[in-house]
Amino acid sequence: MVDLKTLTGAVGELDEERVLEILNGFVSTNPSEEEAQKVVAACQSGMAIVGDLYEKGEYFVGDLIFAGELLTNAINTLKPVLGNTGSAGVGTIVLGTVAGDLHDIGKNIFKSMSEAAGFTVADLGIDQPASAFVEKVKELKPAVVGMSGVLTLALEAMKETVDALKEAGIRDSVKVIIGGNPVTKEACVQIGADAFTTNAAEGVKICQGWVK
Amino acid sequence: MSDVKELQQERIGIFNDVHDNKVPKRVPVNLSLSFEATAQFAGIDIAAAQWKPSLASEAAEKVCQTLYSDSCPTGGSLRFPSFYEILKSQSFIMGSNGFIQHPEVVGMDPEDYDYLIENPYDCLLERVIPRQYKALNLNDPISMAISLTKSYLAYQADMGEAMGNVIPLVQKYGYYPGNPGGFAEAPFDYLADQLRSFKGINMDIRRIPDKVAAACDALYPILLKKGMPSVITKYSRVTYPLHMPTFMREKDFEKLWWPSFKRLCDTYASMGVGNQLWCEDNWTRYIDYLYELPTNTVLIFEYGDMKQIKEKLGKKHIITGLFPLALLKAGTKQQCIDKAKEMLDILAPGGKYIFSLDKIVISINEREMENLSAVAEYVRDNGKYSNAGETAGMEFNKEDYKTDMGRAFESKYYSTWEQYKNMNNRTSDIGKDKLQGLEERLFQYFTSLLI
Repeated sequence: MVDLKTLTGAVGELDEERVLEILNGFVSTNPSEEEAQKVVAACQSGMAIVGDLYEKGEYFVGDLIFAGELLTNAINTLKPVLGNTGSAGVGTIVLGTVAGDLHDIGKNIFKSMSEAAGFTVADLGIDQPASAFVEKVKELKPAVVGMSGVLTLALEAMKETVDALKEAGIRDSVKVIIGGNPVTKEACVQIGADAFTTNAAEGVKICQGWVK
Repeated sequence: MSDVKELQQERIGIFNDVHDNKVPKRVPVNLSLSFEATAQFAGIDIAAAQWKPSLASEAAEKVCQTLYSDSCPTGGSLRFPSFYEILKSQSFIMGSNGFIQHPEVVGMDPEDYDYLIENPYDCLLERVIPRQYKALNLNDPISMAISLTKSYLAYQADMGEAMGNVIPLVQKYGYYPGNPGGFAEAPFDYLADQLRSFKGINMDIRRIPDKVAAACDALYPILLKKGMPSVITKYSRVTYPLHMPTFMREKDFEKLWWPSFKRLCDTYASMGVGNQLWCEDNWTRYIDYLYELPTNTVLIFEYGDMKQIKEKLGKKHIITGLFPLALLKAGTKQQCIDKAKEMLDILAPGGKYIFSLDKIVISINEREMENLSAVAEYVRDNGKYSNAGETAGMEFNKEDYKTDMGRAFESKYYSTWEQYKNMNNRTSDIGKDKLQGLEERLFQYFTSLLI
């Protein structure tokens, strides 16, 4: 069995080589699924360290992107020993960049960090009309709807999306979080979202608070 | 002299004073709505206007009649849909709201680094541009040639048509006409934006930093050539939008981003060409690096502490930007004016300051326009100096900077006049300007496709 603390530390330091070396060694011992789940949890704890270092200003957005990729590689490396049952997710997030906006970097960072925290994320993609959010929410009944945007105009599209959720009678069945450069407290109130953030790590924490 | 001519002379005077290390009569007001905001403000469909720029001609005039600025408050655009769509662009696409945007796309794989480093311009033309522009299909050469020709013709036509909206207004309203300049990117940003992508470059920084550094050096002569003004005057400037630094750790920035950019700025300065930087996002943690740039660099700030910026950089560089666009949307007229007053109090003393906003205006409604107009008029009427003509801070001398042209720009897809003459020895020298002009315009076009 691997030293889980070392693994968590290596993920936190974004030491890709070391992480993959540990994981490849682990997989070659033909471990049980239960052991593999513990290793996944250790990687997820490493991601929490990344999030903390980002909030402290020691890591920057580029590091979050790298961390997302590192975690994807880690999970892929573990796949052969993870089995199919998987762990029960902590909740589902329907995520998308709102109508008119084609930016997806912030959305993707939030997605990989949410997945690292155990959420199942249904990513609608970019430039998504309100109807796409409504349909997906009806289909998946998620705990959270995440809307992303970079342009100031995205705020209007976010409001339209929340209004469409209301109209469909499903607004109260979900929590809504908005993220991206233009979002502010005032915008959050006006849009009718439950929370806002310009910081993906903080956004994940907010979502965790909702599904506790 | 007519009133308009006189006003124009005054405006030229205050801008030139700022660039000449003199305290001007008053703080220049430099406001400009984007092409899209101009059309939208006048109630014109922005997608339609971008397909036919002359549709925004009256809109441009309406903006001039509404908003005070010492420079023309409306302009052309870097991007029109025609030339991107004809080339089946992956990197510039019109969203459902009519705004052309840049999605995250990869134009260069990690395996391409060696070729980029060895032969940068060839790599851009052979590999990167065809990946980002699907109509440039190397397996379908005739269709490719037709698409490229159509795209270039559309580019020239639309750029010309858009400038046709603006140029008459500069004369009619007596605006500061600006000066011949250039447009470039930091080599690292050029590598990041459309070659490796935001995600890709962040992988490379940690996995293959030496190749990133070598790629920046390889791209350096291309960016130097790209930004070089066709005519150099005392007031020529090269403008760069700066993208990646605030997303990076300082140690990566210092090693990988900064060196080739600093060389670029110093080399232009050694030729008497100024540098103008859009410091996108918040550059506070890089403020000491900014200080190292050639004297009189124009720094357009988005965020940051005004006092700290003025204190650290205000004697050496020209400060602008910082007025929060968001306040026009959220604030009252009085709150907007109060902010402008605060900015004048902090940033204007001693000169080397031009009033502008923190962001480009991409949309504006009536109320926001009222706020903006109130601010512009406040600055015009209250940004007056009592010590006009005095020396403002440090003086720029081009002799202080070192010229570094990097390695020679060479490619089988670009001929110098000497190379052309060797191949076509009966061509008259009279044809030089025409032929070399075509070569340069195509160089500019190709390199622009990746900015």
